[in-house]
Amino acid sequence: MHFLHALIEGSRAAFLSIRAHGLRSFLTTLGIIIGVASVITVVAIMNGLSSNIRGQLDDLGSDMVTIRAYTTPDQELLGFRNKLSDSDFRLLQSKLGQVEQISRMMPAFSLGLSVSYGRSSTQTQLLGADSAYQNVVRIYPQQGRFLTAQDDLKRRRVAFIGHSLIQKLQLPANPVGHYISLSGDWFRIIGVAEKRGSLFGFDQDNYIITPFSTATAINGPDNLQVEISYRPKPGADAAQIERQVRSLLRAKAGLSASEPDHFELVSSEKTKAQFDKVLDSVTWVAAGVVGISLLVGGIGVMNIMLVSVTERTKEIGIVKALGATPQFILLQFLVEAIVLSLFGGLIGLILGYGFAALMSLLMPGMPDALVPLWAVVLAIGFTSVIGIVFGLAPAIKASRLNPIDALRFE
Amino acid sequence: MTVPVIQLQQVGKQYEMAGETFHALSDVSLDIHANEYVAIIGPSGSGKSTLLNILGCLDTADSGSYLLSGNAVASMAENQLATLRNQQVGFIFQSFNLLPRHSVLQNVMQPLVYRLMSAAERERRALAALQRVGLFEKKHHLPNQLSGGQRQRVAIARALVTEPAILLGDEPTGNLDSKTTADIMQLFDELHRQGHTIILVTHEQEIADHCQRVLRMVDGRLVADQRKQSHAGVLESAEQSMLQHTNNLASATRLLV
Repeated sequence: MHFLHALIEGSRAAFLSIRAHGLRSFLTTLGIIIGVASVITVVAIMNGLSSNIRGQLDDLGSDMVTIRAYTTPDQELLGFRNKLSDSDFRLLQSKLGQVEQISRMMPAFSLGLSVSYGRSSTQTQLLGADSAYQNVVRIYPQQGRFLTAQDDLKRRRVAFIGHSLIQKLQLPANPVGHYISLSGDWFRIIGVAEKRGSLFGFDQDNYIITPFSTATAINGPDNLQVEISYRPKPGADAAQIERQVRSLLRAKAGLSASEPDHFELVSSEKTKAQFDKVLDSVTWVAAGVVGISLLVGGIGVMNIMLVSVTERTKEIGIVKALGATPQFILLQFLVEAIVLSLFGGLIGLILGYGFAALMSLLMPGMPDALVPLWAVVLAIGFTSVIGIVFGLAPAIKASRLNPIDALRFE
Repeated sequence: MTVPVIQLQQVGKQYEMAGETFHALSDVSLDIHANEYVAIIGPSGSGKSTLLNILGCLDTADSGSYLLSGNAVASMAENQLATLRNQQVGFIFQSFNLLPRHSVLQNVMQPLVYRLMSAAERERRALAALQRVGLFEKKHHLPNQLSGGQRQRVAIARALVTEPAILLGDEPTGNLDSKTTADIMQLFDELHRQGHTIILVTHEQEIADHCQRVLRMVDGRLVADQRKQSHAGVLESAEQSMLQHTNNLASATRLLV
């Protein structure tokens, strides 16, 4: 009964005090808002980015392996540049047993290539690929068809285009059969790929794929650069295939045991592992930023609380003279600190979430804001503890003083 | 004779200052009865405020005993002291000590917050107290919207609202001009007539002149305790006539039996 009374009256007094000291309450809350909002924003963005990237890596398919030329830094210093050739591809194609699909691709050999249709033109990248490429990489046509073996054989000037070129070149809704100009050469559009969206703000649908032979002809045989991709048969031993690839390619290049590989094998598993490593270090940096935000918020709260000690000590002296018990005073201050902390935390949460949502709206490719519970608990918990400790500590001290000493406190 | 409201016996208080012990109060013994109107005077540093703070339980004595309405203050725990301050003492400060951001009404209701009392009852009593000091109209003002005299009236209302056994004023007119001082003293006189026990600390003779009894302090000691002859005489004759009545009553009873 007595405690209930003290709780009700203490809370009433706390709310009265919060309202009466509007500026102080606002500034205290502001510190907490800043701390919580920044934590939530950073964590939401980090979380969203990583889940987005993981999702996209999963889309690539976990079992695809790409073999590409690799030049060690030492070799690079000496002016070497390793290459894989069409004959490497043919060797693997004929010798690799457990492989379901294997394809070769000439990577973007002319970046910033100009393509035009009618009066519109844009920059794009041109790749050369064979007909198996779509099954390995899993790019499927939304309209028309992918390249065929016939296209490759006859070195046809045909183009399979990424989805965003329709808009960029103001092509008709179904552009199959229309011609586009690539540095003065005309290519017939045979198909449009399904949309892939963007990653880190990079458009992934801005490309043109032509038959491998056509690309070779345009690029000239000297500049031939081949990337080989394959997909193991279901249940096949991926490591064994990799060993086979390695020995075949090394034997063909005549490398001695001490020489390093002139190629590298990239699987999306490996990419994922690398990405996780990067993500880990980014997370540490973010944790630092979060820590600093919390510290700044915490110091803000601390300052306001400590600055008002004189005023509050005097106030405590007055109410002690009027008959307030130490418990009552502490209860009032506790309620006040908790209410301010929770209120600030809630506003910070809403603001932080709002910022994160705004970011994902403004940045193309950013996913929806995701806020994990631990971030909420951490942010609100930390600032609340600071608010409560620094709000209560002076009150504890003052409530133990003789009223007359509290009244004289300067 | 009735039991005194205040009984002090050999009360002492020391402070350590720069390694030296300073005796703020030494060996003060004193009785004050209900409805007395007492002034404590003396030069600054004589210990008169220290004495008043101890009487109001705002400070505690280092030695001696103090009974307030029969409660032994020296042996009390902090919570009991708080209850005593709340129920027995109305303290009025020189600098008013109102809560600056609370309205006049909230300030006057404040001491009742520490009692089991409904908010409606608190407000009713606070309004009645404001009525008594003539500030009913200003109930929603903030202290800084009032004059010094009005603020002191609010403080007096706050002291009165708990119906305390003693009203203590530490230089209650020290911050006020002479006109306002006269008004406030008139209020104290009236409260005394209504039956309140009032103890004022002052260094002004004019204030002390309002009181029936003047305690003079020098260097922490009580050096004089003067009762005004007129008042004392009235009291004495009242006592005698009461004795007379009691005797008459006793003989009448005997006759009846």
